[in-house]
Amino acid sequence: MNDRNRHSDSNRPRRGPSGSEGPSDGRLVEVHSQLSRDKDEPAEGFSLTPIFIVFLFCGFGFWAGVYLTNNAGGFSASAFDLDAPKVVVGGGPVVFEPDAAKGEQLFLANCAACHQATGLGVPGAFPPLAKSIWVTGSEDRLIKAILAGFAGEIEVNGVKYNGNMPNIGAGLKDAQVANIATYVRQAWGNAAEPVMDTKVAEIRKAIGNRAQYNPADLLKEHPLETK
Amino acid sequence: MTQDNRSGRPQGRPPEGDGRVSRVEASLRGPFLLFFVSAVIWLLAASVLGVIAALGLGSSVGVLRDCAWFTPGRIAAAQQDLFIYGWGFNAFFALNLWLLAQLGRFEFRNGWLAQLGGVAWNLALTYGIARVFAGDMTGYRLLDFPREVGPVLAVAFLLAGFWPIVAFARRPSGHTFASQWFVVGASFAFPLVYLLAQLLVLWQPASGVVQALAHSWFVANLLQLWFGASALAAIYYFLPKVLERTLTGYYLAPVAFWTFFLFAGWTGPAALVGSPVPLWLQSTGVVAAAMMIIPVIIVAINVHGTLCSQGGWARAWNDTTLRFVSFGAVAFTLAGVLGGVFAFRSMSALVRFTSFATGLEQLLVYGCASMVVFGATYFILPRLTGALWPSAKLVHVHFWATALGFLAAVVAWLVGGWQNGQLLANPAVAYADVLRAESSWFLVLKISAVLLLVGHVAFALNAFGMILKAPAPAGRHD
Repeated sequence: MNDRNRHSDSNRPRRGPSGSEGPSDGRLVEVHSQLSRDKDEPAEGFSLTPIFIVFLFCGFGFWAGVYLTNNAGGFSASAFDLDAPKVVVGGGPVVFEPDAAKGEQLFLANCAACHQATGLGVPGAFPPLAKSIWVTGSEDRLIKAILAGFAGEIEVNGVKYNGNMPNIGAGLKDAQVANIATYVRQAWGNAAEPVMDTKVAEIRKAIGNRAQYNPADLLKEHPLETK
Repeated sequence: MTQDNRSGRPQGRPPEGDGRVSRVEASLRGPFLLFFVSAVIWLLAASVLGVIAALGLGSSVGVLRDCAWFTPGRIAAAQQDLFIYGWGFNAFFALNLWLLAQLGRFEFRNGWLAQLGGVAWNLALTYGIARVFAGDMTGYRLLDFPREVGPVLAVAFLLAGFWPIVAFARRPSGHTFASQWFVVGASFAFPLVYLLAQLLVLWQPASGVVQALAHSWFVANLLQLWFGASALAAIYYFLPKVLERTLTGYYLAPVAFWTFFLFAGWTGPAALVGSPVPLWLQSTGVVAAAMMIIPVIIVAINVHGTLCSQGGWARAWNDTTLRFVSFGAVAFTLAGVLGGVFAFRSMSALVRFTSFATGLEQLLVYGCASMVVFGATYFILPRLTGALWPSAKLVHVHFWATALGFLAAVVAWLVGGWQNGQLLANPAVAYADVLRAESSWFLVLKISAVLLLVGHVAFALNAFGMILKAPAPAGRHD
């Protein structure tokens, strides 16, 4: 960048006629306006700065376009958050893909207070999700539990809990419930199939707006699988 | 006059002081001093309120707590409004007018109009602050004043703050300089933004989230386009002026100007990420805040490039004006970079609702704009009054108290905010522990508020002493 400074030797602004401090303001303006007209004519030592800057700024512009395309909800006035179904310009909604990472965020926000970020629950109070057949078994049963909640005695991994789980899922979107279910079915050593939002929508429609399940009743609909 | 007699010279003793003042400056004297003196008085008032607010941090009892006028909400709002509208605007009325009159060789013949505007501005401000203390604020930050104050402030701005544009239009030569662009841009942008915000937020409140959107748009524009642009104008002027050399990579400056004004206006919605504002607006705000890196890089090349060559930093350090101005330039770069990085969703989710945002804002408003105004004052006042700064010691006190006080506060806000965000996001940490960690920074903020007050008192004593003992204005023919 040193070649820029050659100007400062040859074109050092002179002091103004007023004898005041520094170069006169007229001279300051004139010299700088000359500098912006006469772009670099590299005499000695060609500087790569200008080229580099052009590429850098083009890169920023490219990134801005990509970011807006991916994060602007199709510029729809009714898209408010990134989890909303994306609308492709000129096309229908994008197919849902279960996303355990989004599920983890939702889990930490909605479920981890009781079940803990470790999925181990709190002994004597909240049942574990890790290695629990309630989680990795029937997806219908899991979705119903998330949508409607539990009230009553429940036995998980041989330990009895007298729990009360609110209907967390009732306030979440289908895709969000599906992401949470997918996350808990695949985290902490669990390895079960992901859950689709269409499945959540189907069950939500089937059970309607109902009270919490008694675990024993739910088991009559979906008996616990044997490992 | 060479740099030799400046480098070793104690601060506050500018070389000239012959009691003679140029005609341009003589014509500016009245309006400049009115704006400047009111600015400093408001600054002192804001600093006292700042100390009161800081001392009340983290305690529920206090001498003044039983008095509704001194509850934290009112004190904080009044302090902020005094600092922004009292100190910031008056100071930049003075500085912008002086800059463009100097650069345009503009002899100001209608000084009384500007003075009228200044008086109207300060009266409206006094009334607004009284209403804020009485508890009648609107609830919109930086638009706290009841809505009848808005039109008065707008008219007062046109009377007081529009003269730089006149000076620009009457400049003798066709050449223009970066400082002129930024001041003209700022002087046009603010009244428009202010009137639109008044309309959309207070007079004809837009429905739903548009009101919040208009408010965040206003705050971003106020900070960037008025404070940021005016401060940049001064930085672009004083560096080549005092260092007596041209700016590095000056041919890039027009790009900085246009990208600054293009992107700064869009950064508002970045503060609303995660709120029920259409996604594309949030993302546009994020992109605009990130793209502000372009003007920031160019300003860094222009300013820091100039300072880095030929011992510029050392000379800047040894010159009172440049010491403050280059402090402001560094703060501008830092504010731009941090603002871009922390606009991203993942980062902003972490520091949202913490003091981090305050830190970023103060980096621009205090670290950059106010420090630049201080530096400019050390250059301008001796020329305007024809007198010398009464005390070099007070100049030192001013610099060190404000620099250290500000650095302490900014560290507390940024680091404390970051830490606070980390703790809040961790479900394993109890909320009481989060509060305890946050309040451990209160001591730093208290010390910082006191330091800033000390610095500002030193500055005011020095400046007022100089103005009072200045010889009567006598024009000099040059």
